[in-house]
Amino acid sequence: MINYIVRRLLWGLVLLIAVTALIFILFRVLPTADPATLRAGRLQSPKIIAEIRADLGLDKSLPAQFWIYLKGILLHFNLGYSYYSGASVKSLLFDRLPATVSLVLGGAVVWVTAGMTVGILSALRPRSRRDRASMGGALLLVSAPEYWLGLIVLYLFAADIGQLRIFPGSGSYVPLTTDPVKWFTSLLLPWFVVAAGNAAIYARLMRSSLIETMGQDYIRTARAKGLSERRVVMHHGVRAAINPILTILALDVGVLLGSAVLVETVFNIPGIGRLNYDAITHADFPIIQGTVLMAALFIIVANILVDIAYAYLDPRVRYS
Amino acid sequence: MSGERGEQPLLQVEELRVEFPTEDGIVHAVDGITYQVHRGRTLGIVGESGSGKSVASLTTLGLTRGQGANISGRILFEGRDLLTLPDRQLRAVRGNEIAMVFQDPLSSLHPFYKVGAQLIEAIRAHREVSTAHAREHAVELLGLVGIPDPRRRVEEFPHEFSGGMRQRAMIAMALINDPKLLIADEPTTALDVTVQAQILALLERLQRELGMAIVIITHDLGVVAEMADDVAVMYAGRIVETASTELVFAHPEHPYTWGLLKSIPTLTGGREEDLVPIPGTPPSLIRRPSGCHFHPRCPYAQPDHARIDPRLEPVEGASSHQVACLLGAHARQRLWRELSAGRMPAEALAAAGLAEDGR
Amino acid sequence: MFSIRTILPALLALAAGGAALALAACGSSSSSANTGLNTPQGVLTPANEPQSGGHRGGTLTVLNHTDFEHIDPGTSYFSNDYEAMYATQRPLYSYKPNNVTTPTPDMAESDPQISSDGKNITIHIRHGVHFSPPVNREVTSADVAYALERAANPNVANPYYLGYLGAVEGVPKANGGPVPGIRTPNKYTLELHLTEPKAQLVAASLVLPYSAAVPADYAKRFDAQKPSEYGNYQVATGPYMFKANAEGKVLGTGYQPGKSATLVRNPNWNASTDFRPAYLDQINIQIGGDTNVIGRQVLEGSHMIQNDTPAQSIVKLAYEKFRSQLEISPNAGDHYIAINNSKGPFTNVNLRKAYWAALDREAMNKARGGSLVTILMTHYLWPETPGFEAAGGYAGPKVDYNEHPQGDMAVAEKYMKLAGYPSGKYTGGKTLTVVGSTGNPEPEDAQIATQALNKLGFKTKLNLVDKSVMYSKYCGVVSEAIDVCPNVGWVADFGDAQAVLNVPFNGKLIVANGTNSNWGLVNHQKINEAMTAAEKVQGKEARANAWANIDRELVGEAVAVPYDWDKQAQIQSKDVAGVGDLWNIGSWDYNYTSLK
Repeated sequence: MINYIVRRLLWGLVLLIAVTALIFILFRVLPTADPATLRAGRLQSPKIIAEIRADLGLDKSLPAQFWIYLKGILLHFNLGYSYYSGASVKSLLFDRLPATVSLVLGGAVVWVTAGMTVGILSALRPRSRRDRASMGGALLLVSAPEYWLGLIVLYLFAADIGQLRIFPGSGSYVPLTTDPVKWFTSLLLPWFVVAAGNAAIYARLMRSSLIETMGQDYIRTARAKGLSERRVVMHHGVRAAINPILTILALDVGVLLGSAVLVETVFNIPGIGRLNYDAITHADFPIIQGTVLMAALFIIVANILVDIAYAYLDPRVRYS
Repeated sequence: MSGERGEQPLLQVEELRVEFPTEDGIVHAVDGITYQVHRGRTLGIVGESGSGKSVASLTTLGLTRGQGANISGRILFEGRDLLTLPDRQLRAVRGNEIAMVFQDPLSSLHPFYKVGAQLIEAIRAHREVSTAHAREHAVELLGLVGIPDPRRRVEEFPHEFSGGMRQRAMIAMALINDPKLLIADEPTTALDVTVQAQILALLERLQRELGMAIVIITHDLGVVAEMADDVAVMYAGRIVETASTELVFAHPEHPYTWGLLKSIPTLTGGREEDLVPIPGTPPSLIRRPSGCHFHPRCPYAQPDHARIDPRLEPVEGASSHQVACLLGAHARQRLWRELSAGRMPAEALAAAGLAEDGR
Repeated sequence: MFSIRTILPALLALAAGGAALALAACGSSSSSANTGLNTPQGVLTPANEPQSGGHRGGTLTVLNHTDFEHIDPGTSYFSNDYEAMYATQRPLYSYKPNNVTTPTPDMAESDPQISSDGKNITIHIRHGVHFSPPVNREVTSADVAYALERAANPNVANPYYLGYLGAVEGVPKANGGPVPGIRTPNKYTLELHLTEPKAQLVAASLVLPYSAAVPADYAKRFDAQKPSEYGNYQVATGPYMFKANAEGKVLGTGYQPGKSATLVRNPNWNASTDFRPAYLDQINIQIGGDTNVIGRQVLEGSHMIQNDTPAQSIVKLAYEKFRSQLEISPNAGDHYIAINNSKGPFTNVNLRKAYWAALDREAMNKARGGSLVTILMTHYLWPETPGFEAAGGYAGPKVDYNEHPQGDMAVAEKYMKLAGYPSGKYTGGKTLTVVGSTGNPEPEDAQIATQALNKLGFKTKLNLVDKSVMYSKYCGVVSEAIDVCPNVGWVADFGDAQAVLNVPFNGKLIVANGTNSNWGLVNHQKINEAMTAAEKVQGKEARANAWANIDRELVGEAVAVPYDWDKQAQIQSKDVAGVGDLWNIGSWDYNYTSLK
């Protein structure tokens, strides 16, 4: 098992380097704005643009630039500096990370709880009115675009601009360490939006997984042993049905940690997703690289965690 | 059934009917069957797939209740009608006084929990004991069913057991609360022949030691010959013949039973003797054949067998032997004589010289 | 599992109806009191709003969708940046909010003295102005000289110095070190010696932030970094400063990129040396969010303003329901369609005229929000600029292709025929490349512009890209040879006609490699020569007339298709007495705004 983990981690490292290289190439090859020109502004002489380009290290060959960047990371854990503000990318990432983590993990708790509950209830009475209603509702929520949903909940429930002034509005996020209560209340609406579509998906997933599980022979055995139906459903049914859900959950959270930009924008939560988007509009390569690297890291780690978890969740799985 | 002792049967099934409404129509899974099981004795229920043999047993334990089934009749267990028992009380019986063993032990055991944990769960569902105590009992049972090194095995997962050991573990789980009745649904079908023999021997031994009744459901007449005291032959949701094992094997009365017997290869039959399969396929339980349900596949069917539905009636001279067939008793004896001499059904039919009305 | 959330930019609709990202805004001057705004009743304009109205003290909350681009006074060149710059820095001259006729001496004590030959400028520095902590000492002429010199330092990369200071001796070759033409004979005197008689232009440019004093002793080590770190450690001379930590570091305290900025009072600011009232104690700027949401938060909230372009729907909402909280400012620049004068079909002047005639300019403006925020553009100098009236005023030159704001196919066909297409439709083989920008409402305008081309028989290929990409990689890049750029716009640096016409239309400034702000690659020799001559004209009236003539000639050549003289909308909460800067697209001025 240890061997397996070590091997996965090493592969993860290789993958991260490959991802970095890919982003490196993409942003220099595809038609994005040229950072030197953006920085130089209009009316600029070509001489100045060239000097700026040299300053930013953009005049070196692509492999040379990449090598410098890689060395910086591996030796000094230095991810470079923003072309615009000069802030260190590392400090920006760590500054923004808690907000995204708060948003995503909190949202995940909400959607897993909601999705599982609805899914289990629906699975136990397939094709009942309750089942049809909840699956119909799920379809609706999945189809709602996140950005639109965010605007709607703000216009309905935000304390500053809503019809019913209940929850703190956009821009009210504060870090957990600053004010735990305000942190919590400011995230309620964003958590709902993040969770809405996902809860629906997970409800459907749980439903179909549990329906399939409840048709298995070992469920029949459990009933034949005289166990209460509650125990049969939860201890035997859900326990088996939950495995695919956990796999997908880890991957979903891993992906979302790098890309929650829509919700972060609507609610003005200063997270990694927004940092990434702002950097893209400015062609601020170091930040873009940093955020993409971080997103890739999350996904890789999530994958590894899932594989490890599986060995505990399903005893039939064994890694050599 | 043997009514020798005259004591009350442990399990008495009366006119049990189980129907499942489906989109295609009503499935008549069990169509009015009656049988008994006595303490310490084994009843073998034989039939093809789709004969309704499993549904009857599942219904005994109330396991068909959630599926929208229409159930009528009575199932008396020690005098109590299980069909009318509320869920909670029926659950107290399940896994406790009546236990069941299923066909595929790999899929019938939960893959994620250790075998010991599943045994302990079975105990604690019905007894207030500590986990440690329950584990001791589990180890004991595993030893009882012949699993070596039970103390280690108790901490393993089902996929770490071999097929035969898994079935033993399932049997241990079924027996762990000292049930009075054990229902074994095709317990050896998924196992190797050698392992089969071991499991059957185990069941027999346990029955002797524990004095419990067994219902063994199977399509394999060899198993029946080995284990059952009494036999009920089922076809299309009905019992078509029932008697003690010796009688059924020595003097089978129903053409279906003949078909089953003739399709078994025997060591004593000559090489030239062909196996005689029963032609056709089991009937749909939604749209059953008119009249005698077996008539489309019966080589000896007469024209009015398509109209008249036979009832289960005692055979002359052996009141415990019942059969549901429209052929006359003498005709049946003649036919069986011919068949057991090695003739094919068509020849037997000619040789027996049936009269117009099937006598 | 991937979903919409991973598809980033395309889904974010940025309402950027007004001034574009990469452009800056600065001063203007009006030739008359009549702004001809057609401003509806009840809407504030910088001209008519009171210059005070609240009390001293309190904290103003600013909600901005857009972040600063640069907060270094030597680099910043964007209307958003200017809001903070002009509250924290004191250039030599600056404009009062609604008085745009004459710049007010700011760090300078009096008006600049210009020699008769137009080659020398002498400026006296005010006494008793101090830098904020940690520098603390008094500002001297050496500090102003250093500020101008560092503009040429590539680490600072000032985007506009060359066009204005290029006339100063030694500047074209300067690299951030001392410049022979910039002299400080004593502690309070600054002299600029020019190689050409362009003193009027140079003096006018001293309202830009690059003339704000920077202490050399403190800043040199920051300016040695690539890029310069001075902005993150800057000191202030104005009433406010970016909040800093004990070492003077602003980054992370007073400015968190993409998140927030905080301006606090400069403890070393002496009110008696300054004309600014500076009522507020503190300004908290929150960056980001959806423009529709922050607009509503401002309109319905308390002590808040939005200080960048509000969403169109918000402007509409403010006009309908919160009219007293809406300000509309003219002089916010223009929007026009750049057409390639140097290469492709539009080298033919008749085709250019045909396109001008065919375009429905009213539809273009309707897409931007209608008469509330646009004025029909009929030539290239805009209202408030010297020379505007002489160049034709609101109606513009009387040429037939300019007569029909909704487009006139009959006139268009006439010019198509003159161009050599007897059918009245283009029959040449070239497919026109059209590059517009994403956002709101640029794509709609791009569509309307393209449809007009199609009506004339042109086949078109339309591409929408991010605005900064459009400006830096396509429009104005010679090698790309884009035929039509419908979403370009210009804002002048200060209120001189040259600042409006020179850079966008002077062929002499075109660089073969790199980006140009002459997006249509306009290069007509006669006009180039006229511009070169007009640069040197002294005297306000004379200059205005010289450039008005150039404007008429540009119209005669139909160098670009005009449609929008822009007006910028700004919003405030009901309990804010906001004062807008006419010279900075009406942005709320932190030095004058107060809370009620």
